[in-house]
Parts: sequence; structure tokens; C-alpha cells
Amino acid sequence: MSGPAPMPASPPGDSPGASAQPALSVRNLSTVFESPGRTVHAVRDVSFDMRPTERLGVVGESGSGKSALALSILGLIEPPGRVVGGEIRLGGRDISKLSDRALGAVRGNDIALVLQDPMSALDPVRTIGRQVVDAIAVHEPELRRAAARKRAAELLREVDIPQAERRLDDYPHQYSGGMRQRVAIAMAIAHNPSVLIADEPTTALDVTTQSQVLALLDRLVEQHRTAVILITHNLGIVSDFCDSVAVMYAGRFVETSGVDHIFLSPTHPYSEALLKCVPNPERLAEGPLPAITGFPPDLSQLPHGCSFQPRCPVGKDIPECRGQTPQPHTVEGPSGAAIVECHFAEQRIGEVKV
Amino acid sequence: MSAEQPAPVAQTVPGAGSPAASNGAGAPVLEAENLVKTFEIRSEDRFGRKLGVTVLDDISLAVRKGESFGLVGESGCGKSTLARCLLRLLEPTAGTVRFEGQDLAELGREELRAMRRRMQFVFQDPFASLDPRMTAGQIVEEPLLVHEIGDGAERRATMLKMLADVGLTEEQAGRRPHAFSGGQRQRIGIARAFVLRPDVVILDEPISALDVSVQAQVLNLLRRLQTQLGLTYVFISHDLAVAEYFCDRVAVLYLGQVMEFSSRELLFRKPLHPYSVSLLSAVPVPQAGGRSRRAKRVQPIGEVSSVVDRPKGCPFEPRCPVGRGREVCKGERPPLVEHAPGQWAACHFAGEATAGATPAKPPSQVPS
Repeated sequence: MSGPAPMPASPPGDSPGASAQPALSVRNLSTVFESPGRTVHAVRDVSFDMRPTERLGVVGESGSGKSALALSILGLIEPPGRVVGGEIRLGGRDISKLSDRALGAVRGNDIALVLQDPMSALDPVRTIGRQVVDAIAVHEPELRRAAARKRAAELLREVDIPQAERRLDDYPHQYSGGMRQRVAIAMAIAHNPSVLIADEPTTALDVTTQSQVLALLDRLVEQHRTAVILITHNLGIVSDFCDSVAVMYAGRFVETSGVDHIFLSPTHPYSEALLKCVPNPERLAEGPLPAITGFPPDLSQLPHGCSFQPRCPVGKDIPECRGQTPQPHTVEGPSGAAIVECHFAEQRIGEVKV
Repeated sequence: MSAEQPAPVAQTVPGAGSPAASNGAGAPVLEAENLVKTFEIRSEDRFGRKLGVTVLDDISLAVRKGESFGLVGESGCGKSTLARCLLRLLEPTAGTVRFEGQDLAELGREELRAMRRRMQFVFQDPFASLDPRMTAGQIVEEPLLVHEIGDGAERRATMLKMLADVGLTEEQAGRRPHAFSGGQRQRIGIARAFVLRPDVVILDEPISALDVSVQAQVLNLLRRLQTQLGLTYVFISHDLAVAEYFCDRVAVLYLGQVMEFSSRELLFRKPLHPYSVSLLSAVPVPQAGGRSRRAKRVQPIGEVSSVVDRPKGCPFEPRCPVGRGREVCKGERPPLVEHAPGQWAACHFAGEATAGATPAKPPSQVPS
């Protein structure tokens, strides 16, 4: 994709460089969690495209649907959850209709997942080496054990595990938190997936380790042309790693843009509020932090109109916001275009200063 | 280097002496002097000797009345152990802790109990630190019961007043922890710590388990209570951005030692220790241009050394972009020295990493 402001995560038809095939294309994805008398709409009709090497940050509060989105794309939603609609194309191939078995072959091969807690990807009673070898062998059953072990050592070297050959025989508890996360990444990238979804991959890590993991993901993107979806609640990480960003609220992408836009001219009132409640020492003199009042909505009983309206400093008492669901507006800001689901998007684009 | 030191090697407790008098801030309320904490671990070396892990290695610092004192560092640096030793929830192996000049080790059981009332703790995890079988009201009232304060009616009134102070209603007092969100639970934890009207509160990562929007609410609440009640805070955080926002003075810990200790302004504008420099530059800032900033970072090398097998000289030497491999850094532990008024650093080459490093604070708007 070319142009000064990459507009990657855009709905169909809007993307200027639509000729190149996207690495991942999600259309009208909806996921619900059902219990008697209650349906939680975790992901609501989400559409976006990602080009190869794109780094998309998905940000939002807990319960905004970030992780449900990731699991839906991977086909890992389990009952009582259910993907109720939508299409997921991976390199042009629709994977949303595949059988579990066929999807299993895709997962880990073309698309992979890294989670916040690396221990959830690692079995504490088996050596690192065996687990990495297994991750390789799942998709290459014909590979001989010795060859797989050699490949495992290469993978560990690739993620900067010192003395990789020897440390294959260690158990997960003998690795530090940062090293475990790198092993989890090594397993995820064993087959050079075209899309990697990383759900809070650095949240459990210290800051210096955090930047090492981001540097590793950099290399992955550059060397293997992987597209990365980075799910995080940390806007600093988004700035440090991503080139596009989607702000998620109540199961929707309420603002999607190139990364600079969100920091220089956040247009949705929720994006602005999210940015402003991050402690900023330069604003110390301005008194209390502008916290977002209220709570995210109950996803089984969404408010009428805009789902952010009850908490919104702009639309709180405006009938239009209460009555009508805002449609995606494409607006052109000083740092590129953005797609914003707000009745006041056009008006705000010129006004908001952070 | 030693010839031009502006102050004698740390004989006094850093931050307790003249700076306090000169800038008119409060007197030291909580002091640690040459504090050491060693834990015995189960394994033995090959000669059958018990191995000890030194988690705090000769720490001296002073917390002044009314300030927010930050303890920052990565996991395993000893910040939580230090906080626990300061309240004598853990017995230090060596060294002294003084509360308002009184050596805590000299206090008897009853005196210590009375002292404890004036020092409270707020824990990180609002899910694990509240008894699920008690109501919010009972949780907040319990410290009053333990310390036998007031009769039933008075206790209830104090409890309700405290809950109201943290933004919870009388109706909510009857609910159990599971009925509350994470932010509300942390408010209950804060109410429990503050209901005894303590003088010092240790806040151990009080917001790191919370969502950003809720973090702001809790920080605001802590600020308001501090002003209202004239409290001293010891604020433990791994998040430097939050420490910079919240704390007046900050001690940076690494492997159980103080690497740098200074006012917020000095530490964040002009860090002296290479560890502070790399720690500060590693903090992702939510502003445009993060990727170009990250590309210029001073990265520490490798991983934190083990506390069991700690380096003989400077603990940061094996990872230090400045001192790695240098003889003096490998062989001699640098003393904590006052390099500028109110700014202490333990480094043979203090200030060198700053020169070539990218500033921790980028200009606010960077076109990428």
C-alpha cells in the first residue's frame, strides 16, 4: 500500500491501494456469548483489512471485545461463545467456513497467536525443546526428530535465547519471564505465519524486557513480512510499535487510523478521553487527571444510539447521539485519514488538540 | 573521580539531612540505614553450605513527611521487600529502620502494634487482598476492631464516612467484594488502609491491575486523600510514567541496591545512572513518533542477573552500556554519592550515559 498515510484497517472499497491482496481481510465479523436470557455482543460487525508487514494496534479497556476479536479471527471461540457472522480471508482464502480440522492446519501455520502469559502456552512439566519440536512437528509431521530439534535450536537463536542448543533441555521455570515470552513467540513463528496476533504480549514483562520483545517482533515483520495485530491497553506500546491503530469500544472499532493520527488529533471522544487519562507529568499543575466517568456498557444491554453516549463529554445530552447509531465517517485530519464512528467526527477533526 | 566529589561518601542517610532543611520540606518520617535483607534458600552449594539470597543490599534512604516517595525498578529489584522491611512486616537481617526517629527494632510488641496503626499498606491486587466472605463495610471496619477504636456505633459511622470518602455508598457497604469492579475493590482496599488515619501509607503497585481509565480515578483519589489528611506515601511502581506523575522523590532500585535517588525533576530530566537512563528511555510514551524514538534507545544488554549469583562490583555492570567490562565496574561496588544537590547516584561513571542518550522526554509533537 502506498501513500503518505496508510489507511490499512479500512472498510471495503475505501482503501486506496486495494489492488494488492491483503494479508488478512475481516468482513462483518460478529461474535456473541449466550447464556439463558442473556446475549453478550462481544464483537459487533467489525471489518478491516491488513496488508503484509502492517502492524495494527487494537486498544481499548477490558471488556471492549479485543480478545474476543482475536479468538474469533483464529476460530478459537468456544461455547457459550459463537461467531454468528462474517468472513475472514487469510491471503485471499476464506477461513471462516473451514472445518475444525482444516482450520487446525491453518492455525499455527498461516496465522498464529501469542498470549499475555507465556506460561499458558508452555507446559511446565516438559522441556522447552520438546515443546518447540512439537510446535514444528504439528505442521511438518514428516520432519525427523533430529532435524526438528535442529530447527528448534535455530528458532530459539532467532528469538535471542543464549546458548540455545543447551537450553533446549531446560524446563520453562528455568527461563525468565522475558525468555518464556520469546519462546512462545518462537513457537508461534515456527512456520512463518503471514499474520501474528499478539494479545498483550508485553504486559506481564518489565519495561526493558518489553522493548526486547518489541524489537523481536520488528525483526519478524521485516524478515518474514508478517502482519501483526498487537492487542494492548497501553497506548505507549502502540506508538512504539504500530503503524495503524483501531480503538475498540463495546465490540466496535470506533476509530481507525494511521498511528500518528490518534496521538495528534484523536477524533472520537472516547479516543481523546483514553489518551487524556494517561498520567502526564506535564499536566501535573492542571489538577486531577481527566478520568472517564462511568463504566463500559453492558454488552448484553447496549444503550440506544451511540454506545459511548452515556459517558461521552460531547454527546451526553444530544438527542442525535442518544437516538441514532453513528455510521463510520471517513475524515481527513492533519496526520492522515481516519474512520470515526461519531456524529461529530467532521466537526471535531479540526478542533481536538491533545 | 573521587577527587571531585561534591559531598562525602554517603555517611548520612541520603535525603535526610541538609536538603530537607534547605528547601523547607518535611522532616524525615521514615528512615532506613544500611538495611540488608537476606533470605535463606533451600538449595546448598557443592560443599553443603546454605545459600542466602541478598534481596536488599545496604540500602539507606529517608522518606520525608508529607511527600510521595517513589520506589521504582523491575521485578526482583527488592522494592516490595524494602517496603515490607520499612513497616517491619519483615525483619531486616541488618540495619536500622526509624519511624519519627524511633528505632523500630527497639520497640516491644505493644509499642510496635501502636506504631503499626500509623503505617498502613495498600496492595496491588484488589482481587486477592480482600476477604471474599466479608462485606465491604466489614472489611473497612475490621482495622478499627483490631485496634479497639470506638464503640460499635462509632465504628460504623467512621466506616461509612471512610467509604464515602473513597466514593462508595452506604448501600454498597453491605456487598461482598465479588459484586465490585476492580477499581471499586481498590477503593475498598484504600478505605481499609486509611480508616485508621495513618501517617504513612505504603502503596504497592496500587493501580497496575486496573484499566487506564480507572487508574486515573484511583490516582486522583489518592492525591485528594493525601492533601486532605496530610499523608506521607511510599509509592512502589514498575511504571515510571506513573511514578513521574505521582512522586516527589524517587529511588531507583536494581538487584537490591539503590542506583539513583533524587527529586522527580532531576531524575526524569537528567538521570545520572546508566540504569536510570535505560529504564527511562524504555518507557513507551503515548505520543506520536514512538517508533523513531524506540530506534534511538539505549538498550540494556541481556537480562537481569540472578540475585543468587550477583556480580561482585556494580550489580548493573554485566548489562551496562557504559561500564560493561570496565575493570573498576567489575571489581568495585560504587558508593551512593551526591552528585548534585539532592541527586544521588551509585555509579563510577555517573552522567556518562546521559550525554549520548536520547532524552527521556521527546518533544511533544514529533512528525514522523
